[in-house]
Amino acid sequence: MMGINNQPVKIKIDGQEILVDPGITILEAARQKDIQIPTLCHHPALSNRGGCRMCVVEVDGAPRLSASCVTPVRDGMEVVTVNERIIETRRTILEFLFAERNHNCMFCPQSGDCELQDLAYELQMDHLTVPQSFREFPVDFTSAYIGLDHNRCILCGRCVRACEEISGCYVLDFQNRGPDTLIGFDLNEMRAESACTSCGACLQVCPTGALYNRYRTHYAVKGHPKDWHTVQTVCPLCGFLCPTVSTVRDNNLIKIEGIVPAGDKRPGAGQLCYKGRFEVLKNSDRPLLHPLVRQADGSWAEENWENALDMTVAGLNAVRDAHGDNAIVGLISGLSSNEEFVCFRDLMVKGWETEQIETLENSGFQNIYRSGPDKAQIFKEVSWKKIDEADYILAVGVVSHDSQPAVGALIRKRIIHDKLRPAGIGPDDFLYPYGAHHIPVKEGDELFVVKAILNEAKKIMEKNASASGADKIFDQPEPATAQDIVKKLHFDANTRIALDGIIRDYVDSANPLIIIGESVTGQKDLSGLNALVDLALLKGLYDNERLRLVVLKPNGNSMGAYKLLNRFDREKQAQTIPKGGLVMLEENPAQNNPYLKIPGDLDFLAVISPYRPAGLADCARVLIPKPSWMEMDGTCTGLDGCEIAFRRKVIDAPAEIKSSWETLAGLAARANVNLDYDSWDALRLKAEREIQKEVCSEKA
Amino acid sequence: MKKPKLATVWCEACAGCHMSFLDLDEALVDILAQVELTVSPVTDYKDFAFPQIDVGIVEGAIGNEENQEVIEHLRRQCRFLIAWGDCAVFGGIHTLRNWLSKDEVLHYGYVETAGTVNGFVPSHEDIPRLLDKVLPVNAVVAVDGYVPGCPPAPEALAYCLKELLAGRLPALPADMMHFD
Repeated sequence: MMGINNQPVKIKIDGQEILVDPGITILEAARQKDIQIPTLCHHPALSNRGGCRMCVVEVDGAPRLSASCVTPVRDGMEVVTVNERIIETRRTILEFLFAERNHNCMFCPQSGDCELQDLAYELQMDHLTVPQSFREFPVDFTSAYIGLDHNRCILCGRCVRACEEISGCYVLDFQNRGPDTLIGFDLNEMRAESACTSCGACLQVCPTGALYNRYRTHYAVKGHPKDWHTVQTVCPLCGFLCPTVSTVRDNNLIKIEGIVPAGDKRPGAGQLCYKGRFEVLKNSDRPLLHPLVRQADGSWAEENWENALDMTVAGLNAVRDAHGDNAIVGLISGLSSNEEFVCFRDLMVKGWETEQIETLENSGFQNIYRSGPDKAQIFKEVSWKKIDEADYILAVGVVSHDSQPAVGALIRKRIIHDKLRPAGIGPDDFLYPYGAHHIPVKEGDELFVVKAILNEAKKIMEKNASASGADKIFDQPEPATAQDIVKKLHFDANTRIALDGIIRDYVDSANPLIIIGESVTGQKDLSGLNALVDLALLKGLYDNERLRLVVLKPNGNSMGAYKLLNRFDREKQAQTIPKGGLVMLEENPAQNNPYLKIPGDLDFLAVISPYRPAGLADCARVLIPKPSWMEMDGTCTGLDGCEIAFRRKVIDAPAEIKSSWETLAGLAARANVNLDYDSWDALRLKAEREIQKEVCSEKA
Repeated sequence: MKKPKLATVWCEACAGCHMSFLDLDEALVDILAQVELTVSPVTDYKDFAFPQIDVGIVEGAIGNEENQEVIEHLRRQCRFLIAWGDCAVFGGIHTLRNWLSKDEVLHYGYVETAGTVNGFVPSHEDIPRLLDKVLPVNAVVAVDGYVPGCPPAPEALAYCLKELLAGRLPALPADMMHFD
């Protein structure tokens, strides 16, 4: 049927003669020529199923209509996409779908944003000619993010395919048969008990309201789609920089969706994770609208901007005058933009000679870049995009759900599509049940296992003379063998097999990749990190310049923070006893955040924040509002520190709030700091230059 | 020429469709100049014997014996029967109770509902009894035209009436269709 010599085939659609590539479907051919054929189970990001028959067309006048989404073109084919019989067939199919379950648009949260409804309008289905079943189907609201109402399901199977093809989860599938068929999680579990990762790919592709977002779907909130507009931007939450489309109505964020053709090797097909799709929609904390100043009796009073900035600068000046240089710390959220990092740093360093600017999360991953002058020189990690190319993946201490939730999906897709057999070491077996090997050790014990793997792999490879980068390896103080580690950590038989398997697979692999998670980078003991660097070096550098490592970072712009704030003398820092500080927040830090190192006896603390910061407000003297990341333009740095993406403003900040630039520049002017840029745009260029100082070969 | 006679009835529904009809505002004046509105919740003219009429319009689903009697009688008396609104066209929100038995529905409504104290299910020969299931109008009698919507937009109702006056059965164009 397919053109043997790849010659274009000539077909006729609705009398129009066209030349198309062989092997494509009638639907694809029609869409290339802007000929509309309605579809329901077909989705551009998914494989074709041909299940709903909405796209039926007449081929060569045959008595049976063909589903155009799965019928390949053939030379000389004559296709009719619209005639009375076809329309009547499509409308009847639609009536069956409506009659089978309970499709009541007037109380469906998806009404107005529903492909089934759109088709009913388009085909003018103004009543049903078949009796309705009025059968009750179950619902599943055990997830905080995803609502599943089987009453609205048309069994098109888009979610099933999305779960497999987009998120690599295989959690969703059809259960039961015939009219009893339901979409089910795992082996007919409720959503909460299933292995679902809440990536939300299923609800993005759902053509009805069967799977829907539980946030902001009430009609009173989301209104009618005619009042919506969309903003294309990137998600800054984890450093993957997934492209997103945010839907906004009256300056209210309604939903966030992934982009189908994403490009730039970033997650496409609509892929996002629970953070980017749902967490952002959670009702945010109480916004801070006016500067607040602490009164003598401990209460807060509203203050105007000028006075609040004056008081901040005066307060920090007083601390410096009383305690000398080095007494003021800066804390800034790891979700801030590159511009904010640079401006905040310049202000703090030039204004008060600050020696310490930290982020509010575990910055332990930075140790890997500081673990020795030699190593720092060669330490360049590969991009997470190499997950797509590796022939072996070893995930060490990865708790995928926490920092970069999409990592799990990327690896699982490799397992499904390329038969990759990755392995994991650490408390969380996020590859279960797909991974080849897992060594379940508690957090912090990964390093012992890694050292043993390193030694054993080294021995084998030296014997085979296959260790291409072995000459660069640093001496290991205590070489541990597999035997030692088995005894030390009391491995059972299966774990022992897994350990041997990992050593063997790693040695055999040609293009391995090691993914390091926070349970390793968070440790004080750096020997685990060193051993991982050495283990990666065994296999040589990627493209002769990059280590075969992907280091997961705790926050969206952690790498930007490292590159832009890491200008300080660590030794000197250790001696710093902070007496005052300036904090710049993005998200509201948890009250027990261990990285929010604020000593109780600070003389002065000012906080710039989009929200009333819960715990921090107790020790602050001045609170200054700022827009949240969604309310301003900014750039963010990717996970590998090479990619820079522009994050567009999605909604407007409340009118009374001044931008980060106005606040920081205002503080700078009062502190007599001369910033060498005069606008946010100039700042952006400076930040970009600083990020790119380390030459990035991958940067386009 | 004699003005065509129009009757509208309100079965199991919220009256939203009739509200939407009133929402035609000044267009209503033009329409009423061309038709004679007989029995209707709008006119509050209660002659349920319905003289022979041209167009009967029904809002609401068929959920009890009274609804059934009214709609069957209206069907006999009118030449064209038009269903207005999602309840009349599809059954609408009332069909939620089709998942329960009649006794469960009544017990839930009169006894279990929050705020009900010492509730009991009323029973009297004058109170129409529920049907087993709430049905769209076309599951009970033949219907000639449909205007879905909850409620249908005034423009859709105006379109429907104008089509009827022009001697055609209404079929809403796609851009006037909506189910919510």
